[in-house]
Amino acid sequence: MRPGLLLAAMTLAGQAEAQAMVISPAPQHVAVTIYRDPDRGTDPFNLGWLGGYALVSETRHVRIPVGESELRFEGVTSGLVPQTAIVTGLGAAVIEKNRDARLLSPGGLLDSELGQRMILRRANRRTGAVREQEAIVRATNDGIVIQTAAGIEALHCTGLSETLLARSVPPGLSATPTLSIRVRSPQPTERDVTLSYITNNFDWQANYVGDLSSDGRSVRLFAWMTVANGDDTGLASAAAQAVAGKLNRDRVYVEPGRAMPIARGCWPEGSTSTIDAMTAEDIGAFPDRNARAIVVTGVRAKANAPAPPPPPAPAEVMAEQERLGDVRLYRIPIAVTVAARSQKQVALLDQPSVKVETVLRLRPPPGRFDGSLDQVLRTRNNDASGLGVPLPAGKLELFQARKGRRLLVGEAQIEDRTIGEKIELVVGQSSAVHARQVPFRHHRAEGYALELTNDTPRARTVEVELPLNAKAIGGARLTERDGWMLWEVRVPANGLAKLSYGFENRSQSASTGRGR
Amino acid sequence: MKIAIAASLLAASSALAQTIPPPGQTAQGDVAVTIYNNNRALVEDTRNLDLPSGRSRQEFPDVSAQIQPETVTLSGEGIGIVEQNFDFDLLSPDALMKNAVGQTVTLVRVNPSNGAETRERALILATNGGVVMQVGDHIEVLRDDGLPTRVIFDQVPPTLRARPTLSITLDTNGSGRRPVTLTYLTQGLGWSADYVALFDEAKSRMDLQGWITLTNNSGTPYVNASTLLVAGAVGQAPSYRRFNDYEDNDQSMVRAGTQTANRERIGDFYLYPLPERTTIADKQTKQVSFLDVHDTPATRGYEYRNSWMATANEPQSVSTVLRFSSSREQGLGDALPAGTVRVYERDARGNPQFVGEHAIGHTPMGSDISLATGEAFDVKVRPVVVSRERVTPEEWKTTERFRIRNRNGNVETGEFQVQQVYWRTNMRYVVTNASPKPVTVDLHQYGLSWDTRVVQESLTSEKPSDEEVLWRVPVPAGGQTVVTASFETRY
Repeated sequence: MRPGLLLAAMTLAGQAEAQAMVISPAPQHVAVTIYRDPDRGTDPFNLGWLGGYALVSETRHVRIPVGESELRFEGVTSGLVPQTAIVTGLGAAVIEKNRDARLLSPGGLLDSELGQRMILRRANRRTGAVREQEAIVRATNDGIVIQTAAGIEALHCTGLSETLLARSVPPGLSATPTLSIRVRSPQPTERDVTLSYITNNFDWQANYVGDLSSDGRSVRLFAWMTVANGDDTGLASAAAQAVAGKLNRDRVYVEPGRAMPIARGCWPEGSTSTIDAMTAEDIGAFPDRNARAIVVTGVRAKANAPAPPPPPAPAEVMAEQERLGDVRLYRIPIAVTVAARSQKQVALLDQPSVKVETVLRLRPPPGRFDGSLDQVLRTRNNDASGLGVPLPAGKLELFQARKGRRLLVGEAQIEDRTIGEKIELVVGQSSAVHARQVPFRHHRAEGYALELTNDTPRARTVEVELPLNAKAIGGARLTERDGWMLWEVRVPANGLAKLSYGFENRSQSASTGRGR
Repeated sequence: MKIAIAASLLAASSALAQTIPPPGQTAQGDVAVTIYNNNRALVEDTRNLDLPSGRSRQEFPDVSAQIQPETVTLSGEGIGIVEQNFDFDLLSPDALMKNAVGQTVTLVRVNPSNGAETRERALILATNGGVVMQVGDHIEVLRDDGLPTRVIFDQVPPTLRARPTLSITLDTNGSGRRPVTLTYLTQGLGWSADYVALFDEAKSRMDLQGWITLTNNSGTPYVNASTLLVAGAVGQAPSYRRFNDYEDNDQSMVRAGTQTANRERIGDFYLYPLPERTTIADKQTKQVSFLDVHDTPATRGYEYRNSWMATANEPQSVSTVLRFSSSREQGLGDALPAGTVRVYERDARGNPQFVGEHAIGHTPMGSDISLATGEAFDVKVRPVVVSRERVTPEEWKTTERFRIRNRNGNVETGEFQVQQVYWRTNMRYVVTNASPKPVTVDLHQYGLSWDTRVVQESLTSEKPSDEEVLWRVPVPAGGQTVVTASFETRY
């Protein structure tokens, strides 16, 4: 992987002095840090449209000749955000940094050759005989006008097989947008430079797999770090990290470079016949009037991230966690290849026994309500509960074994949770206890009658959480807990429980009118 | 035969030589470009033209494809301008044929089986939906038979051009080569600043690099141009509000500075000249360094803004902010043109990692800057409305007086009185810190009005404005602080 050194006279317009061009084809070492899409919440990512981003740091070995030269970096991602590119290691030699997005395309080629001599090739469709002659491109607006020895002609309007050939690629056109720096060095230099940049088209998330014990009191919590690369460029043998937490970033639109099609316009071609009798084989294809500019577009198949596999035996490779400023960094301890358009999973954490409590919870909305209760898995993120690790946001799949078979018993979204926090995960809805709430008018205030019915043959404990300004009407006792008024009630087997509660009404100012 | 073709082609192309430059060359002369933030630029192009004496028409190729032709001015020794034209009647096969109506062209009919060519002259009669022409003594439709037919026009009509073209008719005193300066405004060239801040939290220091990022989407390269950037948008309001346009409306500049930076100015705008001439290619993003400050003081802070007196169901992460100054004495010592600041911190292995970014507006020197770069994983606030009750003091207020003439013609007067009602809201804010260092969180409660009273609070507040109170809440490492407060409001 030796860096190519190419000395070429730059034919860039107007630059009289010859400039050396040095091409760095690929990095020697690459590190990538992947950041979540800050606006995705806990939704799964769409592999066809990844909203996260990554910081790529590459070490490249370059040899710079004496004088002024252009150092071109190849093998960077297509989602590279040009204003984030940083090149270190060359010091004051760097004059400027450029990203060029004029792409080599059929239209771009002809457009660059405007006013230049090209080769006009005409072929006989029947005999295959080819004739070549010189022609000057005179216009490329809505069709191509050329000047030949005979005079002025329009290309693709004759019914002949004809095309224009260029002698070389015009300067300044490239297959993909390119990043380069202009450097000036007093002596030939050979050294390692670091190129770092932020690129779009990456994302990551945590995928949790929970195995609930048969008594429902503990969970084996395993998590995957799921990393996705939606870019055309893969990162081979990379030191890979991921950052958990929300960082402020505006998604930057990266000009993908313009690929112009050839404009195929002609003069009006109406005929006296309504029958399209001519076949291409006989006389050559007409330019299609309705398709003047032929643009091929594609839509990538939309694919959602597949569900994570069950946890393996104790993971061989586990991501290492560290603090980075006010967020968390997870480091994959071995070099991995983050291939183009691929998803990769590495173990993030494995907590063999996390104490949990399963409760039925209701936070009744205002007004009439008729529905089921939330099934909540509750724990505290500390050592005593068998946890005590930061939990990056992601989805949890909860399983429980029944007669040797694993069943999916719940799904939940986990937000970023730090150590010490209470964790309440709504893993599903319980149909065992049903709630019905009816409003009524209580004095000058709004009141609600709540009825809980249990259709199972055992008593169930239900936690009803009300806003802090709720007051019980009648005998029920509300206690304050964590910013809620809690009504904890045991609903008897095949029985019901009732609560009436209300809020003080907000009346506007009272007014009196007095006449005299 | 081949030689003859080449010779005639040469003859034809030498006629074009005045309008088409040789390969790899530009018609631009000494170019100076002044770029504003709002995607606009002023181009000054001094060309050496060989002008004949008297009246002549000069074409100016290689001007911006997004030129505003009405802004063009031309100046030079001994020239007077007769008229300026911007022609956008473009050469295309269709336009060529339309222009040939009433003229004769050459048809070359090609036998598809053996390639034999037959030449005929044809008079173009009309081009409505199809080309109708007179060939000899009959009228026919071009290629109605579907056979390959070349149409050869004798010349390109002088009014049709390959590109929109600027031409100026001049009246010149005496012939000869002289420099003339063409000046115009164009769209498609813009710039902003990009900053790289490497923050060392342990030392409370940072290194800041500033880059000028200029983009050229004007469709034309500017060759070997002397480039000047103006920090500001001239004349018009910004067409897009990229900066300071955040939904949470958090301003990055806490206090506007009053110091003057050691930079060139024109009017009230700072100027940033590029150190050397450069070619700004089309579709290019170019970055040039303009600021490199090392070891300047910077601190980490935490902010939380509760916009209404409302309860949050879950603890909310506070914003992480980076604070620094652009002053001469204790900071960067420079004005900062509008752009984006990207903040990096080193990880445990010493590699810089991105930890968030924030946009800044044009920031004078001497300003205090506070950039919200993200949310803290470990520091959270949960605001809770503990209770809300009505307070009715013995206060009455006259709200209206009236005077009515009743049916009998007598005048009655009266007034309305309203009993003052206050609402007391008791708030509790639980601020938690799971990190191994003590932190101070700036806790803002918004949604207040001028007559809101804070009747009780567990920590002394500041009142930066009528609509907010601010507590600076110290939170121990791995601990929590609870702030309580009672507000009395009229609504």
